[in-house]
Amino acid sequence: MIEFVFILPIITGLVALSLPAPMGRVLLLITAFLHLPLSIITWMGKLTPTYPHLFSSSPEGLLILLLTSFIFACISIYSFSYVDETVIANKPVFNCCMMLFLGTMSMVTLSDHPIVLWIAIEATTLVSAPLIFIHRSREALEATWKYVIICSVGIALALLGCFFITLSMDIGNIDTSLTFSALYDVATKLDPLWLKAGFIFVVIGFGTKMGLAPMHTWLPDAHSQAPSPASALLSGALLNCAFLGIYKVHVLMAVAGLQEFSGNVLIGFGLVSMFVGAIFIISQPDYKRMLAYSSIKNMGIISFGVGIGGFALYGAFLHILHHSLIKSSLFLSAGNILLAFGTKRVQRIGRVINYLPKTFVSFFAGFIGISGLPPFGLFISEVIIIIGAFQQQHYISVGLFLVALTLVFAGAGRIFMSLSFGEYSEKIEVGERPLRLLPPYALLLASAVLCVWIPDVVYAAILDSIKMIGGTFHG
Amino acid sequence: MINFTEAILVIILLSVLFSLGSTRLLALVRIMVLQGVAVSLIPLFLKDHGTLGSGPIIFFQVMILIKGVLIPALLYLAVKRVAIKREIEPFIGYHASIMTGLVIILVSVFITNHLRLSLPTGQATLLIAAITTMASGFFLMMARKKAITQVIGYLMLENGIYLIGTALTKHSHTLYIVEFGVLLDLLVGVMIMGIILNNINTAFDDVDTTLLGRLKD
Repeated sequence: MIEFVFILPIITGLVALSLPAPMGRVLLLITAFLHLPLSIITWMGKLTPTYPHLFSSSPEGLLILLLTSFIFACISIYSFSYVDETVIANKPVFNCCMMLFLGTMSMVTLSDHPIVLWIAIEATTLVSAPLIFIHRSREALEATWKYVIICSVGIALALLGCFFITLSMDIGNIDTSLTFSALYDVATKLDPLWLKAGFIFVVIGFGTKMGLAPMHTWLPDAHSQAPSPASALLSGALLNCAFLGIYKVHVLMAVAGLQEFSGNVLIGFGLVSMFVGAIFIISQPDYKRMLAYSSIKNMGIISFGVGIGGFALYGAFLHILHHSLIKSSLFLSAGNILLAFGTKRVQRIGRVINYLPKTFVSFFAGFIGISGLPPFGLFISEVIIIIGAFQQQHYISVGLFLVALTLVFAGAGRIFMSLSFGEYSEKIEVGERPLRLLPPYALLLASAVLCVWIPDVVYAAILDSIKMIGGTFHG
Repeated sequence: MINFTEAILVIILLSVLFSLGSTRLLALVRIMVLQGVAVSLIPLFLKDHGTLGSGPIIFFQVMILIKGVLIPALLYLAVKRVAIKREIEPFIGYHASIMTGLVIILVSVFITNHLRLSLPTGQATLLIAAITTMASGFFLMMARKKAITQVIGYLMLENGIYLIGTALTKHSHTLYIVEFGVLLDLLVGVMIMGIILNNINTAFDDVDTTLLGRLKD
């Protein structure tokens, strides 16, 4: 009953809609901490799918499921305190949508049927829209509208891509069930022309959701307008789910012998995303938008690493893990700053180090992490991607990659310095609370630990995820 | 004998042209009813009638219900609440839009002929209609000011994609539960868009997309 992993949060989410907000808040916490062991049990292979033609557990799916579950557990603790201290017009809807969001994301990670995967990804858009809209300001409305329209249209194109993949099955006269695991076995017989067309549409479609430039326009608005726990989920969990959709089709392409084509497409999108992220970070007046552009840049790095393949592919998977951990931690710290200062403008904030010393530690550590410096994991993953790219002789791409990294460091550094040590003389609105400090620390700690020591099971899972397309650790 | 498939496809093509030329929101919603029903009927005429069991029959009824009744009803409610009988307010004029529609049809014919797909006989028109519907949906989203026309454009896009799905693939119709999931997503999507529209209207007193330009870098 592997389906229980996503059915549980959906049911509790719907129940929370009818409960008063304080009980719903507790239910959110309970769901998060039931979901985590459930994911671990799934990880250990103790659950079997009831509908094997729709759902199954793949190593890359399980990796992202466990990551999502862990991040959600941290965020649920944070939002337990956060919801109380901020003005949210309709708290039951917030609780409900958070749980539905977890449910639909878990469904993405377990889908094996391309169209079920599509349904799940579109469902994540629909259930997260109310989260962005929760503050009901004009800006939030605009962000939600852009999010729903741009993502729905983008994902509709991914559906077209899925239809093209089924068409390539029909033309190849293959009669097998339409699941990724079955398609991998017959990949060489698929019609290459339609498979390529399908891949392009899937990349454009799910790439919109993943935040690849130039389809990223919804992302900074949505991330900056959503309440901080939701932003952390959007950035730390949702983007990975969209990536999973692209990755599965990329594996299909690779098995069909079209890895060069799909790899080059991903490298191209990756480089463009890195530059768009880097350029918009440089003079960004809003720190949540800055974090959002940093997500675009990191999604670009992941796409770049996957496109290069081999050793870099291992780096890309590490990058997913560490980016999710560090970025959700940063969004939670940013939430503390937003609560205290009541504004997202960098210029109106300063001296975080004096007013919020503990938040300063997590925020600054997050900055060090996101810039790719040790002791956090993005250092390792970026070095691995660079080495992997050198091995494959992508010298120009590596050069561009390094330029983008430097630009981001310069831009983000200015903002972090100004926030931490800049001028500020007024009083802050809300102080620090332990429940809002613990989760960002826990997420950072996880990244720091995973940087120096990867448990064997995680290592094996990453290798299992990438071995199908020739990714190895021993480049 | 009349070819029902072709007749319905012509209705779909006409509905696309009508939607590009219509000046009133309510007329646009009525056109979407027609298009939704027509699109849902297509697979019935493509299949062999002998193979349709009770499951597919129920599914197609649900599909007509969702595409032809529920979604237009939601749109109708949104129009009634948000912008009472107001004009569509195009960025690109109605005549120019219809001309664009005709050009899109020509391009679709060209693409379909150029692809040289091994389509079963008579399905070339289906592909033409599908590509036209998709492209016009995109055009409608970009060429009109009102946010609600963007929803309608999205629905047309989805209709076109659905037509491509029926036209080209055999496999997409083996699992009706999957198809139903797609429809459910569409329905909930339109519902959420309607709720946001309503809120945009109360916040801005209009549903003009040009008002939505506050978030910039």
